[in-house]
Amino acid sequence: MTAVIQATLNGAMMGAMYGLTALGLTLIFGVMKVVNFAHGSLLMVGMFSAYWLIRLTGIHPYLALVIVPPVLFVFGYYLQDVVIKPVFKAEGQVREPLTVIIVTTGVWYVLDNLALMLFGAEYRTVRTAISNKSFALGEFIISIPKFSGFVVAVATAVGLALFMRKTKTGKALRATSLDREAANLMGINQYRIYNIAFGLGTAIAGIAGCVLIPFYYVYPSVGVVFDIRAFIIVVLGGLGSIPGALLGGLVIGLIESVFSQFMASTWTEAIIYAIFLIILFVKPSGFFGHKQDW
Amino acid sequence: MKNGSITTILAGCMGMALSAALFAAPALAADKTVKIGNVEPLSGPSASVGVQGKQAREMAIEEINAAGGIKSLGGAKLELVYADSKSDPTVGVTETERLINTEKVNLMTGCWNSAVTYPATQVAERYGIPFVVPVAVRDTITERGFKNVFRIAAKDSWWVRDQFRFLKDMQEETGVKLQKIAFVFENGDWGTGFAEKWRELAKKDGYEVVLDEPYPSTATDLTPVVTKLKAAKPDIVMLVSNAADAILLTNTMAEMQVKPKVVLASGGGHADPKFLENTDTNALGIFDEVEWNTDVNKPAAKPANEKFKKKYGYDLTGESVDAYVAMYVIADALERAASTEPAKIRDALAATNLTTGPGMVVSYDGVKFDETGQNKNAGIVIVQVANVDGKPDRVTVWPKAARRAGYVPAFPANK
Repeated sequence: MTAVIQATLNGAMMGAMYGLTALGLTLIFGVMKVVNFAHGSLLMVGMFSAYWLIRLTGIHPYLALVIVPPVLFVFGYYLQDVVIKPVFKAEGQVREPLTVIIVTTGVWYVLDNLALMLFGAEYRTVRTAISNKSFALGEFIISIPKFSGFVVAVATAVGLALFMRKTKTGKALRATSLDREAANLMGINQYRIYNIAFGLGTAIAGIAGCVLIPFYYVYPSVGVVFDIRAFIIVVLGGLGSIPGALLGGLVIGLIESVFSQFMASTWTEAIIYAIFLIILFVKPSGFFGHKQDW
Repeated sequence: MKNGSITTILAGCMGMALSAALFAAPALAADKTVKIGNVEPLSGPSASVGVQGKQAREMAIEEINAAGGIKSLGGAKLELVYADSKSDPTVGVTETERLINTEKVNLMTGCWNSAVTYPATQVAERYGIPFVVPVAVRDTITERGFKNVFRIAAKDSWWVRDQFRFLKDMQEETGVKLQKIAFVFENGDWGTGFAEKWRELAKKDGYEVVLDEPYPSTATDLTPVVTKLKAAKPDIVMLVSNAADAILLTNTMAEMQVKPKVVLASGGGHADPKFLENTDTNALGIFDEVEWNTDVNKPAAKPANEKFKKKYGYDLTGESVDAYVAMYVIADALERAASTEPAKIRDALAATNLTTGPGMVVSYDGVKFDETGQNKNAGIVIVQVANVDGKPDRVTVWPKAARRAGYVPAFPANK
């Protein structure tokens, strides 16, 4: 029983972080209707940024949380503006712009290979003040970096939801996501909103990078591992849904951790995919998605 | 007329040169050099180990020749003839044929890759040319009833055998009794292969298996596995991991405060140069099985490694040590054979019992072949990650004869 409760705690913490990595993906999809294949690479950029910042300046990993995300916001903002926007414009008023998906795939390859060229293929971890530290909760052990990651993930999701509801930019993002033409007619600059959405998605990847780096290692193709999870989570939670991403992440994390206690951990992967397929059959829109909302 | 005479003179000269080359040179060569054919991966995916082996061989040959060559053959020098296998079995076979038929080598050595060595030794067997295999670990290479194949290094199944020998020896040495054992391994070919033999030997030695857990190498999170490990409360944890998962497992175990009495890894990820860099003090106490370590307590090991490092800029590795030893085994056999006849060299090799000399840099006691041609003494080294000058480093602890002087292994590592 102890092991199961311990596994539940671990699964929830790890799951919230999976949710965090999926949050940026679901946001960009919600607003732009684009599956961003470069998302894993953006996460990798976030991890490397956090890695180098902590490694070179020796600052506390959570100080990186106020430096890395804004920098990545600017990076994402201009990445969309310079690389993706022209393709978007060329596609005109197509409902699901396919070429853009291919462009994001290109961005993925360029970023991964650039990182490979600059930093090499080796695994890097950075030892921080909180690395491998844990505290005991009764007989259970809570890893400090993972617990902090959990808190940051929930705070980010709540913060993003509030931003979408309360601010003018957030409302414009939601309006564009509902109907880009109507939003355009209401005086919202569609492409500026895309820049912001992409920037926000990248910034969230930066946040994820900051909370992952104290206990995980980074290498140029690290994004691929998280990417597959993120896609499943986004579909599970409902495309474009913020609470859906968090819940989807928790579900995956819990399955992975708790089911492992009863069977070989190689099986949990298969179970995750099986559940994914079942959801697709039973409720294709996911937990929080709406039928035909785009 | 004028032209004609020049042609005649030229033809005469060429004729003389040719006859000199044809008759005089082989007669001289037979007295003065012994040709050793050497198929190695010098380009392609395994080129780096191929080059390590080549450099180690060249250092050994230089030493042997400088010390007067093969005295029983009138001071004959050893000469290596290289061929690049590109790690390709087909190329390995054709190159072996070429070395034997065209280059007329007296014996063969190589080829590092098991996949290349397996068919190449078959060729040599057919021609009756002795083949000294320094390292290619697939069991079956020496298990086909061949007369001419001799292997220096330990074979695959011996890795697991030595892990259990180590556990037994250490328990006897320290008087600590360990009972519960856990297996955690990557679910590829390598990990599942090891696990299969672990189960067999654990049963034979009377251990109680409390966890038998494969995991995917690509896992993002190994906390579930570590949680399971914690619940199983094993005394011993046996691991087979690649680099990324070795790092993740070690760090997660530290975080979850899982401290089994003995953690015993199987090289691979745990032997990776990046492993200690990324785990630091979390790795302290871990035992790992490797082919060789720079500090093995053998008189010849240190000077050989220093010389090699000075010459090529890096430490000897398991692969290069086996290649180095192979040259001394060959020289020793030639000395006793007193002939360049392949059949006589073969018989001398079969009677090898090399325990001393500059070639003995290995952790084990010597080279002596059994009837299959496998070096009976061949073994592996177990190292422990310990604090050396304030930094975690690998220290040889087993076999006891090779243990770093003055080091007392922490066994159990966690009380």
